[in-house]
Amino acid sequence: MTLWQRIIRWLDERIGLTELVDTHLKGYRVPSEAGVFYTLGMVAVVAYAIQAVTGFVLLIYYIPHADYAFHGLQEIMRKAPFGWLFRMMHVVGSNMMVAVLFLHLFSVFFTGSYKKPRELTWLTGGLMLLFALLFCLSGYLLPWSQLSYWATTIVTAMPTAFPYLGEYVTRLLRGTEHVSGVTLNRFFALHVAILPPFLVSLMGLHVFLIRRTGISPSPFRRSEGQAGGYPLYPHFLLKGLFMVMVYLAVMFFIISFMPTLFLPAEANVPADPYKTPAHIKPGWYFLAPYQMLKLIPNKFLGIFIELLLLGVFLLWPFLDTKEERNIMRRPLLLGVFLLTLTLWILLTLWGKYS
Amino acid sequence: MRYILLLAAIHILSSPALADFREVFEREFLLKPWAGAEVEESVCVECHTSEIMKPEYRHVAEEWKLSWHYQNRVSCHDCHGGDPEDAAMSMSPQRGFLGTPGYTAVPEFCGKCHVGILRNYLESGHGKALKAGKRGPNCVTCHGSHGISKASIEIINDRLCSRCHSYERAKSMKQALFLVEKKIENIEKDLEDLRASGVYTEDERKALFRTHAEFRALFHTIDVSLVKNRTDEFTKKLDVIQERIEETSSELAFRRNFSAFIMLLFAGMAVVVFLLSKTYMD
Repeated sequence: MTLWQRIIRWLDERIGLTELVDTHLKGYRVPSEAGVFYTLGMVAVVAYAIQAVTGFVLLIYYIPHADYAFHGLQEIMRKAPFGWLFRMMHVVGSNMMVAVLFLHLFSVFFTGSYKKPRELTWLTGGLMLLFALLFCLSGYLLPWSQLSYWATTIVTAMPTAFPYLGEYVTRLLRGTEHVSGVTLNRFFALHVAILPPFLVSLMGLHVFLIRRTGISPSPFRRSEGQAGGYPLYPHFLLKGLFMVMVYLAVMFFIISFMPTLFLPAEANVPADPYKTPAHIKPGWYFLAPYQMLKLIPNKFLGIFIELLLLGVFLLWPFLDTKEERNIMRRPLLLGVFLLTLTLWILLTLWGKYS
Repeated sequence: MRYILLLAAIHILSSPALADFREVFEREFLLKPWAGAEVEESVCVECHTSEIMKPEYRHVAEEWKLSWHYQNRVSCHDCHGGDPEDAAMSMSPQRGFLGTPGYTAVPEFCGKCHVGILRNYLESGHGKALKAGKRGPNCVTCHGSHGISKASIEIINDRLCSRCHSYERAKSMKQALFLVEKKIENIEKDLEDLRASGVYTEDERKALFRTHAEFRALFHTIDVSLVKNRTDEFTKKLDVIQERIEETSSELAFRRNFSAFIMLLFAGMAVVVFLLSKTYMD
């Protein structure tokens, strides 16, 4: 008996490892038509894990103080062993994680996988997307560059469009009248201590709900495929692993050949509260709501519409209760979906180039 | 839904009562961050560009806006004193207003900031001639006043120098300066390239600025042999900066190659996993 077999046997005697693998990996079936789009959730989990690990490394060197944050980060980039690699993975990874979450969201919507009995799965997923965006918002300020300072000024000013509570929310986020060292401390605490347990809990709940309700079969399947679907291991996990490898290859492509894609010139200038740079914009994922708020003349109406849309997004499974899951058989819903997607893209581009 | 819409309608209709939040919103969100660079016009500029100003003084602010001083946020009151925020007291001696200096006082006027240059200038033939007989050139003679450009070796030219003396001596000074100036120009370009690649180059920029300022100050002695003797010293200082730039450039090349290698590794693994998954599917 080899050492490996002895370890397996030791574990098997204590925790029933073989039974666990047989039941939850080999015995768990996924729909036979589950393609690469079904693996986006798995990719998102890996993306978050990459953010956590690279974040831990950055945490070793990062100093959350307005006087040291920017220069400390430059030291990480230039002097810490492979600090540049971890920082670039963290920066590029954060953007790619949001992109993967958006894709996951679209595929779930398109396949109608949010319908009964999966309403709670959608809700937890939607909340996870919001938490991911909060991660991005709080992390954006930490480099304390001109880009981070002024982009945070824009985003934290957005709640002021909301009467009564708006100013309070902005003040709560900033800690002071303007973005300052106090804001940096708040965002740092939010980024590394407050948000992670919430996100991990939501992730656990999301996975639990998926296990309880099972992976939703595609409404577009033409044949039944393999009866009972494929086992999670190795079939589906290998598909997921393939997508994770693609994700990592794309990430390193950006780091190698487009290192300034998410780090424009202003990201290399220390924050200066007295010098407002031209053309500062929030991250690409906030550009659509930012542009929408700019376009609507009544700012309260603007923020109200945005909050309403957010509510509709989160509670969509409870609003769309029709049983038909195939969006192709629901032209109105398909039209609204495509229109929303087109508007989002247009607003994002408008926000970027305006 | 209708309750939500009703609530929205009440809020929108009562919008005049919400002037407070709107004011904050416009100040914080609408105007400041994306209206372009924040330009704070001093009362000096306001007055000098208005109709009430005599025509011969109106061009001053426009010239200044094209100047190197403007780009480096050196404003009217930094040289002329006075209060840039209070029109009534803007030209009050109590607020340190100096006005326009006399011809021989110009070097000290500029030398408040350009200390090293003033020292060398006063020891030079130019400075001595000015102080002795009011006939030597002052700073404005060569550099101009409000529309001042970034100093460059090109300022030494036949047209400008031969207004007072023959160009020959100035030419030999220009030749002595050429190598170091050229080197400085190249380093500035390299630093700009590094900046565009996402590298923070402030330390190198500051080192270059110090060396450059020191070298320019030396030039104001207009002592060709002194400049020639000290060229090696400045070249060595610039070499140190150049070396750091080269190190950073090779580090960038290493980073690109390293992450490209990892990219290929993951791309290869993706192919392997894909083929493996196919065998399971079959």
